[in-house]
Amino acid sequence: MKLIRQYLTAILNARKLLVYTFLLCFALMIYLPFLMIALKSIGRGWFGRLWLPPELTLDWYKWAIEVTNIVDITKNTLIIAALAVAMSTLIGIPTGWALGRRNIPGKELLMSMILLPRMIPPIAYALGVAQIFYRLHLINTHFGVALAHVAVCAPYAIMVLSATFEGLDERVLEAAAVCGANAWRTFIHVILPLILPGILSSMIFTFTSSYNEFTLTLMTYGKDTITLPVRTYIALGEGYWEVTSAMSILLVIPSIFVLFLIQRQVAPEKLVGGFKGV
Amino acid sequence: MVRDETEHATRITVYWQVKVVHKRDMFSHFSYALGIKGGLIMKRGSKARSILTTLLMLSPGLAGFFGLFFYPIMVTVVRSLRPEGQQVGWTLTHYITFLSEPRARGVIVLTFVLAISATLCSILFSIPLCLALRQKLRGHRFFRLTMLIPRVVPGLIGALGLLLLFGSRGWVNLFLIRFVPFINEPVHINYTIPGLILFYTWLYFPFTAVTTLATLEGLDPAIEEAADVAGANRWQVLRHVVIPLIMPGILAGSVLTFMAAFGAFSIPLIAGGNYRPLSVEIYKQIDLTPIRWSAASARAMIMAALQVIFLTIYMRILRRPAA
Repeated sequence: MKLIRQYLTAILNARKLLVYTFLLCFALMIYLPFLMIALKSIGRGWFGRLWLPPELTLDWYKWAIEVTNIVDITKNTLIIAALAVAMSTLIGIPTGWALGRRNIPGKELLMSMILLPRMIPPIAYALGVAQIFYRLHLINTHFGVALAHVAVCAPYAIMVLSATFEGLDERVLEAAAVCGANAWRTFIHVILPLILPGILSSMIFTFTSSYNEFTLTLMTYGKDTITLPVRTYIALGEGYWEVTSAMSILLVIPSIFVLFLIQRQVAPEKLVGGFKGV
Repeated sequence: MVRDETEHATRITVYWQVKVVHKRDMFSHFSYALGIKGGLIMKRGSKARSILTTLLMLSPGLAGFFGLFFYPIMVTVVRSLRPEGQQVGWTLTHYITFLSEPRARGVIVLTFVLAISATLCSILFSIPLCLALRQKLRGHRFFRLTMLIPRVVPGLIGALGLLLLFGSRGWVNLFLIRFVPFINEPVHINYTIPGLILFYTWLYFPFTAVTTLATLEGLDPAIEEAADVAGANRWQVLRHVVIPLIMPGILAGSVLTFMAAFGAFSIPLIAGGNYRPLSVEIYKQIDLTPIRWSAASARAMIMAALQVIFLTIYMRILRRPAA
């Protein structure tokens, strides 16, 4: 009897071990590419069949900062992302409220229409956006690139915000009214604290979206509005893999940092959600 | 408990409504616009005004949709029907020249092959991953976040890392040469179709995995217990109970993966080598010095049409009750 129990426990433990091995392989698969980039960015003379670079150097980072003018590019990226976040949030709050809380006939249809830009490949409408922007002289302006990003970011903001507003409990508002709060006080003291996390998470998601956006930027950028992803692409084309790696590390660290920072507050799984239902 | 209190509160609200209904505070318009139903506010205003407010609130979103999506698509449609570089005249030559090129069929087939294989691979990979994650082992939060990493970093950088990892001097090849017998030459993975499928899967599997995991966690444990009690072993439970139940979630996620993989741009652009799916084919047309807007637009329209057709068929199949 005891033997059998021991045997069973052993099998159970082994299964756990198997699961852990599987998960570990999976994590390796995800993180190893970044490790390779990191090694490439600090190594010199890494040729032939070597596991590690023979010499360490920070030259590539110096190059990345001096030659590719990464400070200006970061500034561009952040300005564009901030503009895109501001515009998407301003669009998302009223529209999200209307979709989340008001009676609209054909709401599902409207929602899927608004989410359409996330379903069609961006390159298909990026072409049109680029042509319109050429005509309006919006190419090579921060505002123009940000506006192009809004095409992708706003549906996202609307989706996240309407879910937030929909989740607002009617009874809490009633309770506020019962306690004698007028509409303004209800808004400031009850509604705002309840929806603030939703607004914040929508802002973070749109920021990530804009920060990483490549296709639409590639179609609308000019020499004064190069963003980090586009610069990485240009550097790859020039063939400086070490410098590109250094830039990529500088570009990636904020993204991963943000992910680990927000994981408790905002359920980062939403980052992946393309549209509701199916 | 909470419910009782609320009901009590509602009753009081009715009392307050009677008492304060004459009181007009200056923010009533504002609160009306917000649609707060708390007590006294909903009584006022006509239906027409309510509709107007709704429209007003929807207008930013609709403006964004029509200005930044619908209008550009229309511009693309019109552009694709114009002769190159001209503002007048109608022609179908761009569609005809592209579709009659012998290369065109290869490009379209390649796009579909890549997208469909990447979708299948991510389904096959997501199921064991989600089953493993569901057990809530120590540190499962870390692995859950790991799952999202490919979606948080720009695709370009993922592609760069994968190219380095799977290159002829990358760790994977070093590992294969060192530890696997009969492999003495680096295996070519980069710039081949299996390599591209691998890269696509790496970048786009989170769509499938997240949806699958959410469905799996929404599953009622009682169902599995019932199957267990009925005498099914673990494999049978998985095969005949769990997988059929989470299939809708898996398929819903796989639609997202498919759409992303079909429109993938950054990975094939830098890691595709000689293989060019439709998105890169479009970009190559505007990368030329006299930009060929019309040719690019025609290709974009073909791509959008193919995607819409495929998705419609896919949805049809999904909606059909499982045989």
